[in-house]
Amino acid sequence: MGTERSDLTSIAPKKTSGINRHMGFSWKTYLKRYWTLYLLLVIPIAFFIIFRYTPMSYILLAFKKNNILIPPWKVEWARNNGFQWFLKAFKDQDFIIALKNTIFLNLLDLVIGMPMPIMMALLLNELAYPKYKRITQTVLYLPHFLSWVIISSITLRLFATNDGIINKLLGTSIPFVGNPNNWRGTYIFLGIWKECGWNTIIYLAALTSISPELYEAAEVDGAGRMRKIWHVTLPGIRSTIIVLLIMNLGHILGSEFDRPFTLSNPQVTEASKTISIYVYEKGINGQQYSLTTAVGLFQSVICVFFLLMSNALAKKFGERGIW
Amino acid sequence: MKRILSLILVLALAATLGITSAFAADEGFVDGKFTETRHITVEIYNRNNDGGTDPTNNVWTEYLKKGMLEKYNVEVEYVSVGRWSETDDIAQLLADHSAPDISYTYGYNTIITYANMKDENGNPGVIDLAPYLEEYKDYIGNIITLLGGEDNLYYDKDPVTGEVWMIEGVRADTSRITTFIRKDWLDKLGLGLPTTEEEFYNALVAFRDNAETLLGENADKMIPYTTSTDIGWRNDLLAVSKVAEDIDDNTLFVYGYDDRHLLYPGYKEGIRVLNKWYNEGLIWKDFGLYNDSTQEDDNMKAGYVGAFMHNWDYPFRNGEDCINLNLQRNVGEDAMFVPIDCFQNDAGITRKFMGAAVGSDRKIFLPSTNTEPLASLLYIDFISSPEVIKYLQTGEEGVNFTMTEDGAYQILPATGDWIKNSGNNIDYTMTCNGLYLGEATGKTTALSYPGIPADIVIQANEYGKNNGRYPAHFNVGTIESETEVGTSLSEKRDEIFTKSVIASVDEFDSVYDSLLDAYMNMGGQDIIDERIEKLQEIYGITYEK
Repeated sequence: MGTERSDLTSIAPKKTSGINRHMGFSWKTYLKRYWTLYLLLVIPIAFFIIFRYTPMSYILLAFKKNNILIPPWKVEWARNNGFQWFLKAFKDQDFIIALKNTIFLNLLDLVIGMPMPIMMALLLNELAYPKYKRITQTVLYLPHFLSWVIISSITLRLFATNDGIINKLLGTSIPFVGNPNNWRGTYIFLGIWKECGWNTIIYLAALTSISPELYEAAEVDGAGRMRKIWHVTLPGIRSTIIVLLIMNLGHILGSEFDRPFTLSNPQVTEASKTISIYVYEKGINGQQYSLTTAVGLFQSVICVFFLLMSNALAKKFGERGIW
Repeated sequence: MKRILSLILVLALAATLGITSAFAADEGFVDGKFTETRHITVEIYNRNNDGGTDPTNNVWTEYLKKGMLEKYNVEVEYVSVGRWSETDDIAQLLADHSAPDISYTYGYNTIITYANMKDENGNPGVIDLAPYLEEYKDYIGNIITLLGGEDNLYYDKDPVTGEVWMIEGVRADTSRITTFIRKDWLDKLGLGLPTTEEEFYNALVAFRDNAETLLGENADKMIPYTTSTDIGWRNDLLAVSKVAEDIDDNTLFVYGYDDRHLLYPGYKEGIRVLNKWYNEGLIWKDFGLYNDSTQEDDNMKAGYVGAFMHNWDYPFRNGEDCINLNLQRNVGEDAMFVPIDCFQNDAGITRKFMGAAVGSDRKIFLPSTNTEPLASLLYIDFISSPEVIKYLQTGEEGVNFTMTEDGAYQILPATGDWIKNSGNNIDYTMTCNGLYLGEATGKTTALSYPGIPADIVIQANEYGKNNGRYPAHFNVGTIESETEVGTSLSEKRDEIFTKSVIASVDEFDSVYDSLLDAYMNMGGQDIIDERIEKLQEIYGITYEK
C-alpha cells in the first residue's frame, strides 16, 4: 500500500499537471493508468460478493416461512408481519436462558479475560534476557493452537470431581466442572489459559513503538519501574487497548460454539447453554431454519449496536476509535 | 362435531383430487420393465472407516447396479452422505436441489419438515407416495412381505389427508437393552446371578464392600455400577420396572414422546433408586461430567466395573477390541460380563418397552426433485427381496462365509474389496436393519461375535427382548409441537436425570420436579396436550389425565 501511494504522488502529477490541478485526478485517468491494479482488486471484491454478501440474502429467511427449498425472496412471509420467529424466540424460555448465559459469560471474559494479556505483555516487556523472553513467549502461544475438543478432554482428566488429578492430589472432591458456578470459573480460566499468550502479540507490537527516549527521560526524572509502566508504557498502548475493547464489546452477544459445547455437561447446562448451542439444537438438529436465522440476526444487530456505541464513546473521550 | 367431520372429508377429497391430477402412470414401464434405461441416484452413508472401501463403488454396489439394470433396466448411481452429519448433509442437498432420488434418515421429523416446505411449483419438498403405492402395488410385493403386511406399508399415512411421505425400514432384531454383571466377581464372593432388584442391589453393595478383595491395590477405583449421562437408555430396565403392569396403550401413547420413556407414569421411582445407589457410593461418581463413552469403556475394559446396562451386544462389539475380550486380556481368563434379567415390575414380570419392528428404524423418502418415482420404488423393492438381503449380509460362499453343519453362516474376516463398511451391510439393506436369514438368523447371530461363547450371545439377545411390550401404534399424522423442538427436549431430559441422580436423597424430589416442570414448559406439555387432542380427533378416544 505504502509504495502504491508514493507512486501516485510522485508519478501522476507530472503527466496530468495543468488539467486537474484544482480538481484532483478524474477516475478515468486513474483507471487508465492503473487498470491492472484495479483488475487485481476485482478478485477480493468478487470474493466478498459471492461468499459474503450473496449468502446474506438468506437473512430474509428470518422473516419468512421455514423453507429452504426455494430462494428466500420467493418464500411466503411469516406470520405477525414477518416477526413470527422473533416473537417465538422471546417466548421460548430456552432462548432467554441462552441469551443470559451468552451475555454473562462474555462479560466475564471481557472483565477478567481482557486485562490478562495486557499484564502479561507488560511482564514480558520487562524481561531483560532476550532468549528467555523469546522462549517464554513461544510457550505462552502454544495453547492457542490446541482445539477446544482436546482441551475439554484434558480438562476432565485434570478437573473431574473425583477421578481428576487435581482433586486426587489435594485429596478433595471439588466439583470444578460439576456445578454451574464453578463451571463458569473453569470456563473463564481455560479461556484465559488458551488465548492469553496469543493476545499479548498485539500489545507487544504496540510496546515496541514507544520511543525509548521517553523511558530515558522518565529515568532522569527519577521514575522507578512501576512509575515507568504507569506513566510511559500504559499510555503508549492506550489506543491499542481501546481498539481491542471496542472490538470485544462488539462481540458481547456473539458466541463461540466449540468452547461451551465441548466443556459442557448435563450438570451445568443452565450455565453453559449459549445462543450458539441453542441455534445448533433448534436449527441444525430441528431444521428450524427461520427461527434460528432470526436469532442470528438479532445477535448481529445487537453486536453492531454495541460496536457503534463503544466506538462513539471512545471518540468522545478523545480516542481515534476504529474508523 | 358433524361440521368438522364434513369439513375434514371435503378437505380429504380435495387433497386426493389434487394428488391424482399430479400423478401420472409411467408409460415407459411395460411388463415389469422399462423400455428405455432410466437413471436414479441413491443415498448411501459414508462412515469413513479405516481400511473401508468407497461406499459408492465397491463389490456390493456393483451387485446392486447389475441386478437393477438386468431386472428393470434402471441405472443406479450412489451418492454418499456422511453418516454422522446426515441431517445437515441432506438439508444442504435438498436446498441445492440435488438430494438423491432415494434418501433415508432416522429422523421422522426431518422428513415431515421438508414435506411441509413447498417448492417453486407449490409441491411439497417430498413426494407423496400414496398414489404410487396404490398403482404399483403388484410390483412391490417384497417390501410388503418384509414389512409384514400392507398395513405397515401405510404405517405413516396421514389419517386426514391420506398422504404417505415415507416408507419405514424394518428392524429385523428388536432386542434392545440387557443388564450385564461380572460373573467372576460374583463367584469370588460366593454370590449367584441376581434374579431380582434386591439381589442386584446386594451384589453391588458386596462389590463396594469387598473392593480390596476384588481389585487389590486398585481398590479405590472400584465402580460397582456404571452409567453415562444417557441415563434413560443406560438404566431403562430398572426405571421401567416401576411402571405399572396394567398401564394401557392410550397412556403409553399420550406419554410416549420421549423414546427413553421419561414421561411414563411411575418412571420417576426408578430414578429415585439410582439416586439412592449414587449416594451409597454404588454408581460411578464422575459419570455426569463425560459426554462420550471412552472413559467409561476404559473403566470397563480395565476391570473396575461390576455391572451396567447397555445395548444387548455392547460387551461383544468391535471384534478383538470388545469389552469382554479386553477384560480377559487385562484381568484374566475367567473375567467376563454375563447377561442377567432381574428387574421385575409390580406383577413380577421383567417387562421391557420395545421399539416395534416397524416404525422405529430408518425411513425412506423421495425428494420432490425425483423424476423417477416408479424406478425408485422398484429399487426399494429390489433391495427388500430376501435373496438380495441375504447376499448383502453374507456374500459369496467360500469367500465371505462358510456354512456350519447346523446351517448357520460362519462369516469369515473380510479383506480388500469384500470389506463391509457397515455391520451386516445395513447401509445397503436400507429397508432392513439386522440379520434377515430366515431360520439361520439366530444361529448366525450367535456366531457373529468371534471369541465370545455362543450361549452368552444368545442369552444376551434373548434377555434384550423377552417380556417385551410393543406399545400400540396410533397413526395420528403429524404432531406439530414435536417437529419444532429439535434435540432440546432430549438434552433437557438428560439434565433432569443426571442432576436428580447426583442430588442428595433429601433434595431428590425438589430437583426432579422442578426440572421436569422446566421440561414441560419447554414444549413437553404441548406435546402431551396435542397427543390427547389427536387421540380424540382421529380415534374418538377421550383421554382423562
